[in-house]
Amino acid sequence: MLSTLAFSSGFSVSRSPVSQGRAGAPAMLYGEPRPVQIIPSVLPADWANMGAECKRLEDAGVDRIQFDVMDGNFVPNLTFGPELIAACKKYTTVKFETQLMVSQYNCETMLDEYTAATNQPGKPGVVIAHVEGNTHLHRTLTKIREGGGSPSVALNPHTPAEMIENVLDLCDHVLVMTVNPGFGGQAYIPTMVDKIKKIRGWIVDRGLDIDIEVDGGVKADWTIAACADAGANCFIAGSGMFAYENLADGCSELRTIAEAAQKGKARRGGGEGRGGGGGGGSPRRSVRRCSRPRRTRAGSRRSGSCVPRRGSSAGATSRSSSGSRRDSRRA
Amino acid sequence: MAVPLNGQWQCQCPPHKRCCKIQPSMLACDLADLASEAKSVLAAGADELHLDVMDGHFVPNMSFAHPVVASLRKHVPDAYLDCHMMVSRPSQWVEAVAGSTKGAGARYTFHLEAVEEDELDVAGVVKLIRDHGMQVGVAIKPGTAVEALSAVVALVDMVLVMTVEPGFGGQKFMPNCMPKVLALRSEHPDLDIQVDGGLGPSTIDAAAAAGANLIVAGST
Repeated sequence: MLSTLAFSSGFSVSRSPVSQGRAGAPAMLYGEPRPVQIIPSVLPADWANMGAECKRLEDAGVDRIQFDVMDGNFVPNLTFGPELIAACKKYTTVKFETQLMVSQYNCETMLDEYTAATNQPGKPGVVIAHVEGNTHLHRTLTKIREGGGSPSVALNPHTPAEMIENVLDLCDHVLVMTVNPGFGGQAYIPTMVDKIKKIRGWIVDRGLDIDIEVDGGVKADWTIAACADAGANCFIAGSGMFAYENLADGCSELRTIAEAAQKGKARRGGGEGRGGGGGGGSPRRSVRRCSRPRRTRAGSRRSGSCVPRRGSSAGATSRSSSGSRRDSRRA
Repeated sequence: MAVPLNGQWQCQCPPHKRCCKIQPSMLACDLADLASEAKSVLAAGADELHLDVMDGHFVPNMSFAHPVVASLRKHVPDAYLDCHMMVSRPSQWVEAVAGSTKGAGARYTFHLEAVEEDELDVAGVVKLIRDHGMQVGVAIKPGTAVEALSAVVALVDMVLVMTVEPGFGGQKFMPNCMPKVLALRSEHPDLDIQVDGGLGPSTIDAAAAAGANLIVAGST
């Protein structure tokens, strides 16, 4: 049960501990935790075998697969369009997600195609429209829903949360970018946590059924923990996932840390403040350096090991106890 | 002009010695299995792979771009990659495509209509492509007169005469584009002339009779 809270200046949300992690350590997460979802981006994959790569991700236990559509205008990179996304449906039944890093013109002319390509049979596809690229965002989000998709809105790092405050009722997800989209090698931007917390506050206080996604530099370390702690529950990981020899290990590691963070066992930023219980035993690591050339995308390439020390078994669940994978949203 | 006689197209264009090649368009393949599809068409005897790159702006569709080409190159390291760039401001992707296709031959075909908004003029775009080690092609849409190419032909290795409105596969061949092919062949016997759009068993003769020697075959 949520405590009654008072808003402060409007730029931050006062919180009281609503659940306890370790004994005596207050959790930061506001509201009840929503199921963690691990959503790899296909950008580090072998694009000449995209179908097979999607199947690999399905076998690894991911909740969704994200396709980054870039049109060379909204971001200075060009990737692929709806036909390639639709072609992947033959290879996997995992729910799809398409992030439209495209100009308003492209979004308006091709939104129906993007939505149709992203929808799997019986599973509305998540279609993410950028607030910066859509003058008529309300109409765009409505159109996604009308096309049978699950609307999501994305914000670039510089964009204040207030830009989407009036369309939250239309969305199933909000994507907070934690890097500037379109470029590779960007570092995770830790100040985005404040934006996540603000949006989370609105969602909880207004009783909305909305997931918060994060994308950019998210790895199985303090980055995912910080985002989960702040209220995100959907984590888009590109290199953070494909760095693992065994993708299932990557999916599991990401999920474990995120769920632990939701319970107040967050690993704080930059290696400070180790959350998580225990840490006994040597960590089993299956990380390899990604040998294929990195593509420019909305993701960072943090150097150094990204595999955390294993926590106690109490936190090492591979699925959220609050439920199985999210299925179709209201359509 | 090529005219039908007894049901057969009769070649009316001047004779030329340009090599005729069939270039399968990867747009018609299973885009989720490009590596296997590419290997199959090459094994079947295709000379080059035709890659249709679209940016959703120059044409109202998006297909795939240089990152996909880079992945494909790893699987077909020796194939000639013929990149038809249906993009606005074509100079912006030259370096990226060069990087994606390196290792074997490649052609960067830009649209004449797209140069207007480019920071470079046609000569500048051509130079940029050559500086990056690729062959140069220039394309015109059905609505563009062949006269628009008069100052450009001498600069390039190939001219692509679109026989459909670019952006989508499966469209019907436009025979009224053949006079453009014939005009080019008549004036430039040593030029590679490519046609793209609706080419198949029932239309390839018309294109060849007009003087085209590079035939892009997609859905047909």
